[in-house]
Amino acid sequence: MKKPAVPLILNDFEKQEKEVASNLGMPGLRIQYFRGPVWGKTNEQLKKQIVEGNNPITGKPAMPELVELLTKPLTAEEQKTGEVKQDLGPKTYTGTPDELQKLFLKKRYTDFLPVVLPTEDKVAEMLKFTSHQPTEILGKMNPGSEAGEAWSYTVKDAAVSAVMAGAQPEYFPVILALGSTGMTAVNVSDNGFMAGAVINGKIRDEIGLNYEEGAVGPYAQANTTIGRAWSLLSINGGNCGKVGTTYMGTIGNPMNLIGIIIAENEEKSPFKPLAVRRGFKDGENVITLFMGWGILSAKNWAADVWGPNMNYPEIIKEIYHAQDGTLFGTCAVLSPPIANYVKDGGYDTVEKFTEWVTGLKPGVKPAGAEGINSGIRNAGGVFTVIVTGGSNNNYFSMGGMVPSRSVQIDKWR
Amino acid sequence: MRLRNAVIVVLCIGLVCSVSMRSDQTYAQGKRAASSNGPVVMPKITVLNPMGTPPPITLIPQAPRLNTLDGKTIYFINTGYIGTDRLMAVMMDWFKANYSKTNFVYKDNKSGAGLAQVSKDLWTEISEKGDAAIVGLGH
Repeated sequence: MKKPAVPLILNDFEKQEKEVASNLGMPGLRIQYFRGPVWGKTNEQLKKQIVEGNNPITGKPAMPELVELLTKPLTAEEQKTGEVKQDLGPKTYTGTPDELQKLFLKKRYTDFLPVVLPTEDKVAEMLKFTSHQPTEILGKMNPGSEAGEAWSYTVKDAAVSAVMAGAQPEYFPVILALGSTGMTAVNVSDNGFMAGAVINGKIRDEIGLNYEEGAVGPYAQANTTIGRAWSLLSINGGNCGKVGTTYMGTIGNPMNLIGIIIAENEEKSPFKPLAVRRGFKDGENVITLFMGWGILSAKNWAADVWGPNMNYPEIIKEIYHAQDGTLFGTCAVLSPPIANYVKDGGYDTVEKFTEWVTGLKPGVKPAGAEGINSGIRNAGGVFTVIVTGGSNNNYFSMGGMVPSRSVQIDKWR
Repeated sequence: MRLRNAVIVVLCIGLVCSVSMRSDQTYAQGKRAASSNGPVVMPKITVLNPMGTPPPITLIPQAPRLNTLDGKTIYFINTGYIGTDRLMAVMMDWFKANYSKTNFVYKDNKSGAGLAQVSKDLWTEISEKGDAAIVGLGH
């Protein structure tokens, strides 16, 4: 554009915006800060609190300062050109295990839990479970669409994260498949997004993924450490999850620790597996990534009242229409008994059930992100069904979680 | 023959005892070291730095500033975040009251929230018809 411009930013984002500007090559970018939030305020409130107020960082009247940012001549520093390299420290660290745990914590290489220290031997063991070269660029990742330039990471970097997470080497192809997408497990958004994945195929049993009781929780090494490895790869490979710069969740999201790694209970589901419904072969090892707010027990909604007679298809439909589907739609994670209630209710495929729940013909896209910030309620949105868990009771979860990419796992062996 | 067997038995007993004594001594020495000289020193290990690779940063100089706002055209670009329309309306009121010789143009990005969603056509328009831009809102 080559014209002077000043971005307006809320002061709580100062650290983040400075880092983003630096990463984009403008370390001294002139920014005008205001006290937020802005959203939800009347014109009169905005006038008093912002336009007639001070920049909370400099303490100076905001509007004259804004004029100054457009008119004050640039300093030599603001006109600099050239290249800058970021120093990420040495390639290795040496110390006692206790010293290294403290160092990793201090440098924010961890998720604040102790890690398995990534020695060359342990990383080499992990790398034996893929045919891909350690130096191959596995992916590029940033904390969110507008939060700075993407970092790149290699197959070996992913192996380091996998070791740190406590993953067994046989899980490594799944971790590589996740990393290859470039999708972060720890999104910068102030909304507090989470990430998850659904795994289909024979690999579920091969590596010991849990899809019975406790399927969506941290109750098996494979589910837990695959999710943790994705999170650690996001923190270290993609520079995500650093509060104040690359993480801004207002409340945060506990699901960011290990995500939700779900293996479908294909054996007890009355429906075709998710991956098959998305065009893959039955039995093929596939991982489908999700992003959203997360899931909660369906008991959270008034529709799901305990009683002697339960109409589960109706309950799911009511919850669907109670949700705002604008960004992440509605995801129903059904235990096998609930999925069978749905089937016995006359919906022997997910497609038939989806048409009935959403009221939309197959192929018709529900209203969604195009209505963002419009104030229009988009009930339900994209509807996704996953079947997992035990058969010990009639429980299920729902929430906002939308599938994005599906990736074949075997090509990362 | 008996004598030979007896010698072997004695030698075996001696061997077992000496191994047992050696391990006891090692244990005792370790304990002594721990009690008299503080905790046993842990061996050092070498581990890998887990960080990925950031892209190289090419410094971009900022555009020269204006000498004055008088006679200039300032664009207000609403990147679509909720509430920005109201904020920019009150900001423009302030500018109009204080800079009567400046022309202000408001553009609302209707394609969605975010700077990346602002159309290239709008940036071209500002280059051709504008003198400066105020862009918001980073929330």
